[in-house]
Amino acid sequence: MSNATLKVNGKEYRLSFSPHQTLLHVLREELGLVGAREGCGIGICGSCTVLVDGRTISSCLMLAVQAAGHDITTVEGLADDEKLHRVQRAFIDHFGFQCGYCTPGFILSTVALLANHTNPSAEEIREYLSGNLCRCGSYPNILKAVMSLSDSEV
Amino acid sequence: MAKSVHMLDSIARVTGTVPYTANLKLPQMLYAKVLRSWLPHARIVHIDTSRAEQMPGVVAVLTAADLNQPGGPTTFYGVQHKDQPIVATDRVRYIGEPVAIIAAESTDIAEAALHEIEVEYKELPAVYDEIQAMQPCAPVLHGDYPDNCFRHARLRHGDIEVGFAAADEIIEEMYFSPTANHVTLEPHVTAAQWQDGKLTIWSATQAPSLVQQVIAELFNLEPEAVRVMVAPLGGGYGGKGHIRLEPMVAALAWKVNGRPVKLTLTRAETFVTVNKHAAAIHIKSGVKRDGTLTARQVTIHWNGGAYADVSPGLVGSGMLRSIGPYRIPAVQVDSYGVYTNLPPAAAFRGAMASQGTWAYESHSDSIAHRLGIEPLAFRLQNLLVDGDAFATGETLHDIHFVECLEAVASGIGWNTPLQKNSGVLKRGRGLAVMMKSTIPNSTSQCRLLLDDDGQVTLFTSTVEMGQGAHTALAQIAAEALGVPVATMNVVGPDTAQNLFDTSTNASRSTFMMGNAIINAATLLKQKLIEAAVPLLEHPPEELSVRNGVVCVTEKPELCFSLTDILRRNQLTSVDALGEFQTRVAGLDPETGQGVSTPHWHQGAGACEVEIDTETGKVAILRYWSAAFAGRVVNPELARLQNDGNVIYGIGPALLEEVIFDNGQIANPNLSDYNIPAFPDIPHNLNSVSLEGESGEFHGIGEMTLPPVAPAIANAIFDALGIRIYDLPITAEKVLRALQNE
Repeated sequence: MSNATLKVNGKEYRLSFSPHQTLLHVLREELGLVGAREGCGIGICGSCTVLVDGRTISSCLMLAVQAAGHDITTVEGLADDEKLHRVQRAFIDHFGFQCGYCTPGFILSTVALLANHTNPSAEEIREYLSGNLCRCGSYPNILKAVMSLSDSEV
Repeated sequence: MAKSVHMLDSIARVTGTVPYTANLKLPQMLYAKVLRSWLPHARIVHIDTSRAEQMPGVVAVLTAADLNQPGGPTTFYGVQHKDQPIVATDRVRYIGEPVAIIAAESTDIAEAALHEIEVEYKELPAVYDEIQAMQPCAPVLHGDYPDNCFRHARLRHGDIEVGFAAADEIIEEMYFSPTANHVTLEPHVTAAQWQDGKLTIWSATQAPSLVQQVIAELFNLEPEAVRVMVAPLGGGYGGKGHIRLEPMVAALAWKVNGRPVKLTLTRAETFVTVNKHAAAIHIKSGVKRDGTLTARQVTIHWNGGAYADVSPGLVGSGMLRSIGPYRIPAVQVDSYGVYTNLPPAAAFRGAMASQGTWAYESHSDSIAHRLGIEPLAFRLQNLLVDGDAFATGETLHDIHFVECLEAVASGIGWNTPLQKNSGVLKRGRGLAVMMKSTIPNSTSQCRLLLDDDGQVTLFTSTVEMGQGAHTALAQIAAEALGVPVATMNVVGPDTAQNLFDTSTNASRSTFMMGNAIINAATLLKQKLIEAAVPLLEHPPEELSVRNGVVCVTEKPELCFSLTDILRRNQLTSVDALGEFQTRVAGLDPETGQGVSTPHWHQGAGACEVEIDTETGKVAILRYWSAAFAGRVVNPELARLQNDGNVIYGIGPALLEEVIFDNGQIANPNLSDYNIPAFPDIPHNLNSVSLEGESGEFHGIGEMTLPPVAPAIANAIFDALGIRIYDLPITAEKVLRALQNE
């Protein structure tokens, strides 16, 4: 077993887990943070996306021990008490989901996008979010949601 | 009523707190793993589980030796043919078939224990192709079906010889639609607990009532002894439509006896659990020079995989869904469901209609081209309209194929000039229309409960799988009761407290459960009016319910709120049950004549594509879809269904094929099996939901999907003059066809 301290959503957790466990597994099984989900298990679908030091990471591909010492943000860490993050609000306002399984991943990718590009174009949004898959096909509304947060929106 | 209400649990969906079955954690829960066959067809000579059973942390190992014991499950199940063993008995019939299932303290232990089970096989010859499997010398999968054909559905309408003799031209083609996978992002997942002779099942299924019935039968229990609970699904699309993991997990829970056990499939395992039917479709049409159809003959072989599952019924649906919405005096269809040594197949969003539409709508353009008639004009000339008879002989009502097609044609500017060539990039336009039956005989029941705090709870076995059914049903209930949507709560499937529903399949919920709710609301309003009679001192026929009050219809200022009525009658709540059933005459098994469906699903699509002739890559520049919705409940959610169908349909049209190499799947992962992502989606994507005068709800969960592939193929034909016959339309196929020109 490995002992490590993980900093998740601003809180530190002293944890003990097998060294081969993925960050996704530890988030879900040890911390009960189920917003990150396994869709493909090989870093393709983006359902397990979390932010590590602000960058999008497929948590199914990162070992939990590698995440020690870094700032991890999951979808559970976005809302400020009862107040939703503006990206979450935009996804609701624009009907940007159906089954919702992929939604936390899309939301976190959007948060990372907007942190680096305050006014992404539609093309930049499509490109940036191409690593997140939505099988229900909510892409057009997801685009509208993200566009609504872009300064370049006209 | 049409109002774009947000999904009731929107906040849970954006905060990651939807309680999917994949998240389920129960006290003392064990984790399961499945040992699967690595051979496509083999006799099991010997299984030794002793080393696995002795491993620390392993709680139970279930094999066929455990089945058919007193008090335990019997061996075989199946919705229509009981041909599928819970785990393989003396024989395996496909790569990936469950042979043993292990319950352990952790997934890692269960996985390690799989390697400790020894299975000795004797390999048998196998067959994978649905046409080869019906040849005389093919290996036989199930002794009862020596030609491997588990269902032959027939339709005989008019005189086919006379029809072909009357034709000026006969066009004969062969189309193929390969195996595809549903790829629900939440995989198949089921948990079960056996305690004191009762089973509790938590499952990501679209069919809680069916699971209860099948499992009860398998264990020889009363249905009440099996409780099935279904949380919202992370996608269904038909892949969770019937019985999947439940028998295996329930049997393992029975062997464990006490502790709950949960099985979550890996992505690779979902590919060997259930797929879309591959289909080989031969279609031959007779037509007069003026464009009048005289005859059509369709022969389809559906690849059912190793077990019939729900295919026997679907092969009959597929027969109806392969003809097309056209007036044709003579029609003959032979629809064969065939066993092969591949994983079982079942409904796939747009079930059986996608394969049929792929053939008959590509074929429509081939006919139009042969005759030199413009493709839209050819369709409009032959499309069925209200009052026409279909090939089953049944008279059609509420028919809107023409409006659907005209809406999409106008949407993409069908009649505006097209700039076809710009160097290596060539453009074309195509369209397609589809006709789909729904489940002929089905039942939905529900309960509506009004509390004295004014909250209304709908208890429904309709499964919320992202389609927004619970939201739309809450809107229907609110309108029918005359209360605000904000007072509505929905309690989803739990067989211990909710009533029966056939299943959340075939785009039936808004229509079937919606009408059950309206019936419940009518009864509930009657009860409230009766309770208000002594308060308002008017007879019941002079009272009505609106805006959360019962009032005197002629003097609306004389009223009592619903909560007041309950309190003044010393009631804490009042409830009512509702039911809606469809029963149709059915079809003659020899001729396919009769009545097949309570109403018809109708949809169309049109697109403009651009093909890079140096690479063969197809880009969809614009796509318009139309569905006949009858009556729209929630426009935004309806649009998500229409657009979502098109996006889902782009997968099998351009990208998706499960590739088998001697029965072994070569691409059981999302790296090698690509589903549509942002770059695959047309920038210009629009849809319309058409409404009808009757105001009858029509499901829209699938209608705009089947036209996608043929609309794209027809646009490619328009651009390049090449016809693609087998899906998916990859760049390689387009390039090869161009080089063969």
